[in-house]
Amino acid sequence: MSWAPPWLRPRTVELRGTGQLRLIETTLLLLVGLVLAIATVNDLAREAGINHRLVADLKTWRHYTGHDYRNISIDQETLGAGSQREILCGNTSPGAPKSRTQICLAIWGPVLDGRRTVHGGWYLPANVENDVRSDRYGCFGPGARGLCLR
Amino acid sequence: MSVAVSSERGAAHVRSERWAPALATLLALLLVAAAAEIVLDGAAGISPLIPKSPAIAGWLEGIGERLGYRVFLIALLVSTAAYAGLVALARGASGAQAADGRAHAGVISKRWAIVLIAALQLIVFVGPILLSTDVFSYIAYARMGVEHGLNPYTHGPVAIAGDPVFKYVGHDWLRVATAYGPLYTLLSYPLALLGVVGALWAMKLEALLASAGTLALVWRCARARGFDPVAAILIVGANPLFVIYGLGGAHNDLIMMLAMMAAVSLTIVGTPTGRREAGAAAWVVAGALTKATVAVLLPFMIVSRRRPAPILGAVAALVLGALIGFAVFGIHGIDVVAALNRDAAFVSTDSFAVEIAHLFGKPGVFPVDHDLLKAGLVLILLHLLWRTWRGYDWVAASGWALLAISVTSTWLLAWYILWPLPLAVVTRDRRLLAATLAVQALFIVHQISPLLVQVQ
Repeated sequence: MSWAPPWLRPRTVELRGTGQLRLIETTLLLLVGLVLAIATVNDLAREAGINHRLVADLKTWRHYTGHDYRNISIDQETLGAGSQREILCGNTSPGAPKSRTQICLAIWGPVLDGRRTVHGGWYLPANVENDVRSDRYGCFGPGARGLCLR
Repeated sequence: MSVAVSSERGAAHVRSERWAPALATLLALLLVAAAAEIVLDGAAGISPLIPKSPAIAGWLEGIGERLGYRVFLIALLVSTAAYAGLVALARGASGAQAADGRAHAGVISKRWAIVLIAALQLIVFVGPILLSTDVFSYIAYARMGVEHGLNPYTHGPVAIAGDPVFKYVGHDWLRVATAYGPLYTLLSYPLALLGVVGALWAMKLEALLASAGTLALVWRCARARGFDPVAAILIVGANPLFVIYGLGGAHNDLIMMLAMMAAVSLTIVGTPTGRREAGAAAWVVAGALTKATVAVLLPFMIVSRRRPAPILGAVAALVLGALIGFAVFGIHGIDVVAALNRDAAFVSTDSFAVEIAHLFGKPGVFPVDHDLLKAGLVLILLHLLWRTWRGYDWVAASGWALLAISVTSTWLLAWYILWPLPLAVVTRDRRLLAATLAVQALFIVHQISPLLVQVQ
């Protein structure tokens, strides 16, 4: 590269005058790091809050149905993502998940004594994989309004 | 410095040299125990953290208990704390060596470090696949080409629904054609002939060898640049994300990192020649034909070297790779941009973009956020290129670029934040290592919500 003009030749050391640049870069890095750290901790707290709510929902389902089942599905979309309203479905008698008639409960509201309020629900036939409107029957309560065909 | 202060520091060194080996041993034992706990519990059977898999670790069954989130997260946190302690000890020893010129090999010796890293990696190697179904996608794509005569660049694994590997492929990827480079796909083709279990072991072995090769190159590069190679390989090889997520999932990112370090090694070890620089550029292209991300090194290498050799090496390798890729897979096999664009649209809950969206009360990222992130990434890359033009270390610039790609990505996975780590330990800009480890620490912190409130 000896034929090349000086500005085009590879450099073994960085050009002078980068001290202030380094300071600016480091400051920006620290700021970005701070934002990422705050966002991470905020998200962690948010997830812990969601988990706290879901624990209450599961306790509510078990208390309402009188079944201490483990395999209960939780749907956070049907009643609106981010609405903090959930639908929980589980078997009405012992058996593999979804292999028996299921009862679904629409649950929302504040957590009181570790539980939330059941606003309605419906049943699903055995061996139905997804909770869709056409399969729902025996709907009850205001929470099921507009969500059932029969 | 006064004589009194100097002798005080000397006494402190003597004291620390006395307890440091014992502490290092304790930390190493914690790392090994945590890895063993995860692997043994993972081998015990069905767990949300262990993907559905053929029983390759059946001989370990019965020793541990089913791996739950709580045990996994505690083991991960213990690993992280022990790793942080070891890194501090190793870097403290190399710092002291640099300051007083004496060898401080007693704290962490070369043999000790290699034994620890080998133990960690072998523990994970003999166990089940951890935390990801990706390796089954790799096998599915290989079997599509070899066993079913299908092009993995135009079909998702759903096209081979009757194949024995199909039931192990992650649900989200059933309809997704491969996003990996043609070189990687061709490398995986012979493994398809081994059957699902044979291919799985071969993929695990491939990841282990790639990890060993990467560490050997890290050693060479660190020594060539005057850094403590023991600290360098410990920082990479004992890293919990590297061991548990990277190697545990047999991710092909390890192969990409091997090619990346081969390129770096050719430019910084020994006398730089045109041939070595051309070879280095060819290695970057080979890495990019495995997983495209590593292509970001190329502009920094070219701007730094300012010779025709890297350009010629890259062009030659690219033409060769594209010809082979086109001949075997057609135009889709070399359309890397389409694959990158598709992957850039994915969103994972662990990405910083989603966390920041939540911080500002948004439910997630929107198309405009993708555009903003891309614009931010372009600005960072331009700044790094400008600094490299002015003489900044191209290896450090490449490391920053890889870190920026992972931080601005809406699809962030643990093994993506491993990419800059081997570069960070062989550069003089120590901010890169600090930033990489800080990002990894934030990633781990974000995992621990099940520890705070467990949903049962």
